[in-house]
Amino acid sequence: MSAATNAPAALDVPRHHAFSRFCRAFAKRPAGLAGLGLLVAFGVLALVAPLFIGDDQLNVIKVDGPQLSPPVDGYPLGTDQAGRSVLLLVIWGSRESLSIGLIATALTVVLGSAVGLLAGHYQGWIGKILMHVTDWFIALPSLPLAISLSAVLGQGAASITIAIAVTSWTATARLVRAQTLAVEARPFIERAKVLGAGNTQIMIRHVLPNVMPLILVSSTLTVASAILSEATLTFLGLGDPTSVTWGSMLQAAFLGGAVTAGAWWYLMPPGIAILIVVLGFTLVGRAVEHVLNPRMVGR
Amino acid sequence: MGTGNSRHKLAALAACALSGSLLAGTALAAGPAASAASASAASQETTLRVKMSGSGVDTLNPFLAFFDGAYDVFAAIYPTLNSLDETGKPGPYLADSWTQSDDKLTWTFKIRDGLKWSDGTPLTAEDAAWTLNLITTDAVAGTANGSLVSNFESVTAPDATTLVIKTKEPQANVTYVSVPRSGIPIVPKHIWESQAEHLKDYKNDTFPVVGYGPWTLTDYKPEQYAKFDANKDFILGKPGFDHMVQQSFKSVDAAVAALRSGQLDYINGVNPTQFKALQADKSLLTIQEVGNGWTGLEINYNARTRTGKKIGTGHPALGDPVLRHAIALATDRQTLVNKVRDGLAVVGAGYLPPAWPQWVWKPAPGEETPFDLDQANKILDDAGYTKGGDGVRVDPKSGKPLELRLGIHSDDTDDAGISNYLKGWLETIGVKLKIQTLSMSALNSDLAKGDWDLLMDGWTTGPDPTFLLGIQTCAALPKDDGTAGNTDSFFCDKDYDELFKKQLTTFDLDERAKTVGEMQSILYKADVNQMHFNANHLDVVRTDTVTGVIIGQPDAQGMYPAQSYAFWGYLKATPATAKVTAAKEESGGSALWIGGAVLLVVLVGGGIALKRRSGADDRE
Amino acid sequence: MSSLTAAGLAKAKGQGVKRSDLLPYLGSKLAAALVSFMVTLVIGFVLFSLMPADPVRTLTRGRPTSEAQLVQIRLQLGLDDPIWQRFLTFVGNTLKGELGYSWQFQQSVSSLVLDRLGPTLLLTGTATVLSIALGLWLGIRSGWRHGSLFDRIASGTSLMLWSVPTFWLGMILLVAFSVGIGPIPSLLPAGGMSDPSLPQEGWAHVVDVAKHLVLPSLTMVLVVFAQYVTVMRTSIIDEMGSPYLLTARAKGLTDDAVRRRHAVPNALLPSVTMIFMHLGILVSGAITVESVYSWPGLGYLTYEALRIPDLPLLQGTFIVFSASVIIMNLLADVVYRFLDPRVRAQ
Repeated sequence: MSAATNAPAALDVPRHHAFSRFCRAFAKRPAGLAGLGLLVAFGVLALVAPLFIGDDQLNVIKVDGPQLSPPVDGYPLGTDQAGRSVLLLVIWGSRESLSIGLIATALTVVLGSAVGLLAGHYQGWIGKILMHVTDWFIALPSLPLAISLSAVLGQGAASITIAIAVTSWTATARLVRAQTLAVEARPFIERAKVLGAGNTQIMIRHVLPNVMPLILVSSTLTVASAILSEATLTFLGLGDPTSVTWGSMLQAAFLGGAVTAGAWWYLMPPGIAILIVVLGFTLVGRAVEHVLNPRMVGR
Repeated sequence: MGTGNSRHKLAALAACALSGSLLAGTALAAGPAASAASASAASQETTLRVKMSGSGVDTLNPFLAFFDGAYDVFAAIYPTLNSLDETGKPGPYLADSWTQSDDKLTWTFKIRDGLKWSDGTPLTAEDAAWTLNLITTDAVAGTANGSLVSNFESVTAPDATTLVIKTKEPQANVTYVSVPRSGIPIVPKHIWESQAEHLKDYKNDTFPVVGYGPWTLTDYKPEQYAKFDANKDFILGKPGFDHMVQQSFKSVDAAVAALRSGQLDYINGVNPTQFKALQADKSLLTIQEVGNGWTGLEINYNARTRTGKKIGTGHPALGDPVLRHAIALATDRQTLVNKVRDGLAVVGAGYLPPAWPQWVWKPAPGEETPFDLDQANKILDDAGYTKGGDGVRVDPKSGKPLELRLGIHSDDTDDAGISNYLKGWLETIGVKLKIQTLSMSALNSDLAKGDWDLLMDGWTTGPDPTFLLGIQTCAALPKDDGTAGNTDSFFCDKDYDELFKKQLTTFDLDERAKTVGEMQSILYKADVNQMHFNANHLDVVRTDTVTGVIIGQPDAQGMYPAQSYAFWGYLKATPATAKVTAAKEESGGSALWIGGAVLLVVLVGGGIALKRRSGADDRE
Repeated sequence: MSSLTAAGLAKAKGQGVKRSDLLPYLGSKLAAALVSFMVTLVIGFVLFSLMPADPVRTLTRGRPTSEAQLVQIRLQLGLDDPIWQRFLTFVGNTLKGELGYSWQFQQSVSSLVLDRLGPTLLLTGTATVLSIALGLWLGIRSGWRHGSLFDRIASGTSLMLWSVPTFWLGMILLVAFSVGIGPIPSLLPAGGMSDPSLPQEGWAHVVDVAKHLVLPSLTMVLVVFAQYVTVMRTSIIDEMGSPYLLTARAKGLTDDAVRRRHAVPNALLPSVTMIFMHLGILVSGAITVESVYSWPGLGYLTYEALRIPDLPLLQGTFIVFSASVIIMNLLADVVYRFLDPRVRAQ
């Protein structure tokens, strides 16, 4: 870890350097840049969507397009069964799909890092118990668990988000724990202890900043799988069918007979959107990983 | 492990594992009940291949089954006292005639002589009496069909050709109690008598299943198929095919693909999008049946128990008929038909569906509720529902804003569609909807507790309307402890209840229909059960392989009567003589095909390139 | 839902090799697995008892039902027993191999699970073997010549396929190969596991099942093999820097021989561990594929259970899926012990 090698006593200046070095190194990875580009494009589109997509385009009682029509003038990607533009739906769907993915990841990272940090720092019974709990959760099959959880919590975005977080925090926890152990073995921690730093201070001020880069990498990859999970759970009928997400579009298309109708304009775009975004996050995550891990240079 | 040929070992290991899993899989899948049909015989004989009903078969035990797929199977393999004709009127089957006593309490059925179960044992009135008695007396046996015989005093078989049913109260619909599919199947006493003790655990999966009907069940694999042989001596006619296979498909699209490629002959029930896509296909016949169910909105206007104790968390304002009428006025049923069902439905009004014309009721001219948002706004204004700052009206009595929950089924695409429209329309009259997507069970459990405001709902019914009318009576309300009761909307009305009793004991069909019409008029005016539409049932048949599977003639609008496909349709279907090669329709989705082709080419090409490359590597 | 690179690898490598004796090692792993399973049972039960459900009205929907019937069905399904009693019954039954009584199919969950186990094993087994073969082969080649055109194409393709939702890929393949492309008739069956109008035994049946197997297993392979490519590729690259390879080359071995005899066996370790850990997950991954292709396996059963929701059935498939993950993790530990030359050398 490049950041870990810096003297943590004077954090601010070296970290700034580290960051600009990181940016320069990242800029040398075309795949990562391409991924970042895709994500920025989708992110901007999702953010500005409310400027040109509103109730008039999404509310079924207001739209007047042809029903399930292939691309025609004014509807570059055709329409869905209610006569809404598929292009606009895909753009609008990115808002909810992305936010579910990001929020679920944030929850995952917070939960996983907390468990990992605690388990790594308190190596006594607390750490043992936490690691046992983590192991149990790893043994739970994630898709069935997520399905069951969102069935218990009721339909909707919130329960899907929670289900994703609950099923994917374990990987982060293990990573963070391993890294915490490594960091705590370093002399500067010993020094801090001697100088009278408390447990909380050591964890927050000294260990966390050094573990952060790893958390960052793992979270980028978590977003990718969270978005896939969201689509899958929604497709299995656990989402809110009245909201527009890529998963719910695909579910509506699948249940609504789009396969038989050969409505490729309805089936392809949401799937391709998922593909692009997941790919974007994966590429960025791998690039960051390569940059941060000197052992991986050249791969 | 020697390092020299580890790769080859890996490959060999992979091959072993592959063949191992293949063998294990097929062996397990073949299971104990593999059919004994021989290949050579099958090639000369004809087989009708149809899609199993959507929900599939839950169990082959007719005393326990609830799913449509199971009832389709029972209609094919077990006899009933009566059959149903095209319009849903009772006809002869096991019974060739029946009479009632003057006090209307005793029914005497003349059972045909000389019929034999598929194992050769004579089929007599005793079998029918035993089956009906078991359901009447044994709680487990009554699991599925107990309510149909709850008014039976006794069932006896004085001799092999006479069946006597005595009822507690006069009952007009006794001839509907045992009919194909919606009624009670009669089972062979000599097979089932020994199972009566542990009926709950009996799976009825010894093949061929002993029965009597147009078909005999020879094999069944859960989630896969049910196979039948024709009963050549069937009393109501010989089936046109030698065999029948009902194949299970989870997705209708997969079934449609099988139909298009000639692996399937008939699908009962496709969705409007699929229907429209298939209409263009020359080798297929697409038909619309009049619907046997309704889709609509339930309103929790006053949830309470039988003793009148209020329960649940329904919005108090829904007790006001004005608000309920405003909701009805703000619902554009025609648009729902056009947009949600692609026009393939009938605008709803009466409570009973158009499939059974004898019970159809329509509001008199001038009494229909139109789609009129202005009128809806006006009556709400007049009744004192003033709009708050956010545009949502406030109930003048309770002071609560009109924010209503709308429960919809998570697995129903129609519900999701309709709820979007309702939300839009109600917003314009100052009523805010909060859509709650719930699983069936969660929805039903909320319903029973009264914890809801509005619900999307739907029912289908067989030709006898008693049960569907019954769930709107006061007797269907739950007890004070929250148990029992099968009410649908907590509807309870004295006049309605009296009419319900009256129609049950009215033996003249026209008079009964009139009473049933009055009941529907009460429901319509109450605005508690708002019928949105009666969806047409959509079927597809391959014309180059099958004829005769569709019963009846289309009316002026091209609508066919409700199909008794499981019984008459499959019985009367015959192989089409002309062998036409499937003419494929040109699909509009060329880009998708191209995409698929490109993918294939990339994969195959990549594979070949890799292979070459690896060959070169090895030669190095 | 397992992440592609660092996390998965670190997990695999985290299974540290303790130089202790084999039996105590196995014993402790087994004990841990058993505890894990018990915890799964508890989690499963708590989860499913929390679920709001009144299955009776759902089950009886569309059929005339009297009050007495509803009471009878509740009784048969054991819905009115107190919760502690249900828990004891549940644990006792599960240990006996009884998984409860399905609400919708009205038969024992164990027999339903047994019925569906074969098809699922067939599908996931085939898919696993193919993706392992394809993934490892591609991974070895790409890693050995990383940066080459071959590597870029292989890595790029696997990355793309990994980013695709499984069910969507299934739908697209279904449309392309089963509905038929333009004038070309459909090449492969659309769903199910066999064509019931053909005999259900003998060679013809095997061919028929194989035909039905193509699309679902292809879907699974395409999505899964990417992970194996990545892991194998990474571990080959890891090994490439090792001094012993230099020694091997110095001995005058061909490039090919160095790769086969030295690099691959060592690089296989993390991959094999990862593959085993992945197997258990794969079984549950069959849920979406089986739903799209109506493949009559456990995943499809879960999908069906979800519709009601049929809690005992969901609970049963949940336990089976968890058990498969636990068993595979246990196997991963054992296999790692056997494969690691440092341990075997003792």
